[in-house]
Amino acid sequence: MLKKEVEKFLLKVQKPGRYVGGELGAVIKNKEDVDVRFAFCFPDTYEIGMSHLGMKILYSLFNEMPYIWCERVFAPWIDMEEEMKNHGEPLYALESGDPLYEFDFIGFTLQYELSYSNILYMLDMGGIPVLSKDRKGLKNIVVAGGPNCCNPEPITDFVDLFFLGDGEEVDLEVIELYRECRKEDTTREEFLRRASKIKGVYVPSLYEVSYHDDGTVSSITAKEGAPKRIEKRVMTDMDKCFYPKDFVVPNIEIVHDRAVEEIFRGCIRGCRFCQAGFLYRPVREKSVGCINEQCRALCHNTGYDEISLSSLSSSDYSQIVPLLTKLSEWSNEENVSLSLPSLRVDGFSDEILSKIKSVRKSGLTFAPEAGSQRLRDAINKNVFEEELIETCSTAFEGGYTTVKLYFMIGLPTETYDDVAAIADLAQKVVNAYYACEHRQKGKSVRVTVSASSFVPKPFTPFQWEPQDTMDELRNKQQHLKASIKTKKITYNYHDSDTSFLEAVFARGDRKLNRVMLEAFKRGIHFDSWGDCFSLKSWLEVFESCGIDPAFYANRKRDFSEVLPWDHLDYGIKKSFLIEECEKAYQSKSSPNCREECMHCGANRYGTGVCYEKH
Amino acid sequence: MRNIRVFFEKKDECKYISHLDLNRVMLRAVGKSRLPIWRTEGFNQHAYITFALPLSLGFSSDCESMDFRLLDDEMALGQIPSLLNACLPKGIRVTGCKEAKHKPAEIDSALYEMTLTSDNISTEELYSAFDEMLGCDEIAVEKKTKKGFKTINLKEYIIRCDYSVLNDGVRVSITLPAGSVTNINPTLYVSALEKRAGAEIDADIYRRGIYVKDGADFE
Repeated sequence: MLKKEVEKFLLKVQKPGRYVGGELGAVIKNKEDVDVRFAFCFPDTYEIGMSHLGMKILYSLFNEMPYIWCERVFAPWIDMEEEMKNHGEPLYALESGDPLYEFDFIGFTLQYELSYSNILYMLDMGGIPVLSKDRKGLKNIVVAGGPNCCNPEPITDFVDLFFLGDGEEVDLEVIELYRECRKEDTTREEFLRRASKIKGVYVPSLYEVSYHDDGTVSSITAKEGAPKRIEKRVMTDMDKCFYPKDFVVPNIEIVHDRAVEEIFRGCIRGCRFCQAGFLYRPVREKSVGCINEQCRALCHNTGYDEISLSSLSSSDYSQIVPLLTKLSEWSNEENVSLSLPSLRVDGFSDEILSKIKSVRKSGLTFAPEAGSQRLRDAINKNVFEEELIETCSTAFEGGYTTVKLYFMIGLPTETYDDVAAIADLAQKVVNAYYACEHRQKGKSVRVTVSASSFVPKPFTPFQWEPQDTMDELRNKQQHLKASIKTKKITYNYHDSDTSFLEAVFARGDRKLNRVMLEAFKRGIHFDSWGDCFSLKSWLEVFESCGIDPAFYANRKRDFSEVLPWDHLDYGIKKSFLIEECEKAYQSKSSPNCREECMHCGANRYGTGVCYEKH
Repeated sequence: MRNIRVFFEKKDECKYISHLDLNRVMLRAVGKSRLPIWRTEGFNQHAYITFALPLSLGFSSDCESMDFRLLDDEMALGQIPSLLNACLPKGIRVTGCKEAKHKPAEIDSALYEMTLTSDNISTEELYSAFDEMLGCDEIAVEKKTKKGFKTINLKEYIIRCDYSVLNDGVRVSITLPAGSVTNINPTLYVSALEKRAGAEIDADIYRRGIYVKDGADFE
């Protein structure tokens, strides 16, 4: 329900459709009829948040429960923020129009470090004290889930409770506990104490962290009966796991405006820089039949004519060709097109290509990640130059004239020769074009090289590695630029500033809570947006808090150091990560999960790829 | 194959759907409804739908229309509104469906109902400011055209205008030229009034009718 007071200024802001709700598929309930009101907050704009699959899953899951009403909240863009503040209007949920402070649960999803500042911004706009200790009574419980919960230490002062791993079961268990506690009229503290006993729940206030003089963690101690280690939750049977039959279909264009079907969770590859590849282990697939039915229901209920088969590496789905065949039995006739994001160079076959539409004639995108074979071995990105050239040649023969290549710079063990090898590889792709007999006559080739800056992340074999300094990253960018000798290659890169801040928060500890709070007080938010981000402002905040950000971003950790996230357990053994890191130093790759088990520890969940017959 | 025109209301939350986004919303609704509609045959094939007269963002309306070609010659048109309504957000309601009588190019004028309010001045002051403005021979405003800004006299374009004080606002019913040749947006009158009255004015605008040359409803 849109409030009259808000409508008064809605036409003064960009894209007012972001702030009104009323979409097809939005769930409206009577607030008198429910026990628990859950505000699902995405700490970014509507267009970004509405594209997020996790929110769609949990929104439907919660609203299927008669006693829960889950609503959506997004971060108002700065023009709307100004209007709302001028008119004294609090941040509201799109379904009811009610202010955030009326909700039992305020749930955030932590997808990227640069959205942390928006959590404080949204709480404040919603009339909720940003610090956990200032919130009283059994209401406004601030919870968070998503991949960044693997190291939530920089925001433990603001969030009451974190969900580790898959949320489909644990979220409901906590909501159920909340109902009980309210019936018993317990204190907020008692609710949190009981919640900490649920597997997958991390209540940060029940842990004491102490530090050495050099600023590293000396110990993490559980209090009041909380578990020493908090284990992530894992959905073991993806066919039985809840999946929405319907989405909220936005009225304005969003980033990913299509139906999305998750085909498996996890990734077999184990690229050493990739956090998701370790957090979501083991790989658990849905069956062809299950995916087929879910896709059909989604298209029928939403009216979308495009469906994206989503996962961390879609061509690794073990039944990919049978799946595409099954889907095309009805998709062609019903004018539904299929797209496969995250295609690997080696997963690009004619058979797949003929069945999907995502790869339009306009261009192809691949991510070799590193220029030289040595460095690709070190990061365990098992893609070979011959494969890339072969794939590109096939594409050129078929009439393509543009290829986009994604790389990272600043990877561990990287030398300036490795950086220059990016230019060589791109040049070889250009040469491959001119070696093709059937290339489009009279047309030139365009190869776009994008290089982002590497950010070391927790729970990866590179979690101990220093990030290159911003100066070093800039030098490498310039070196790459100078190594490109042809105008047929376009080189895109952006400033390393945001990657630096991301690196600080990715491996931060509880001392950074102070920094977050100070940044909030100075009005810092929307850090993932170029129009708002200012490294200078952040450096001033660090300075005023007496904290050196380089301690977090650019410091090499010892394998023996207690890491701020050591009490969180994602099923991956630290010894495995150390082995993988040492193999990286020797530029040795590891086989993927289907080729050979490397004993990472994820087999303890008793499911998925670890138990597949090979 | 028949040329079909459906009429619909667009209001509440849905008045914030831009024209471009409306096209997307309707394409999805048409797809979901499974109506047998002619599709384009180009590279990006899609159901072919067109809109006779775009509605500005923020306006409500009860007389919008969308055209398409229905492949099924036997299908009863009476069932189409409920089929589409099941596939649309609740702020968009299809109210009727018939074979198109006029061409969109025949559209000549439109009726807008505006409710004007202001936090800065009283309703009476607002009323007299509006009354005074309409009494002038010239209401000059800058209008943005493809070739840049040009000054036009709003007075000349008013086909009919009734206004009165209603509850706590000024209710204006104004008929203006509409269509592809000359199209006058009623917000131009609101901006002119704001300038004259030196006050910020909120306008709730509703399109109530679209007409062809002789003043008959566009059907």
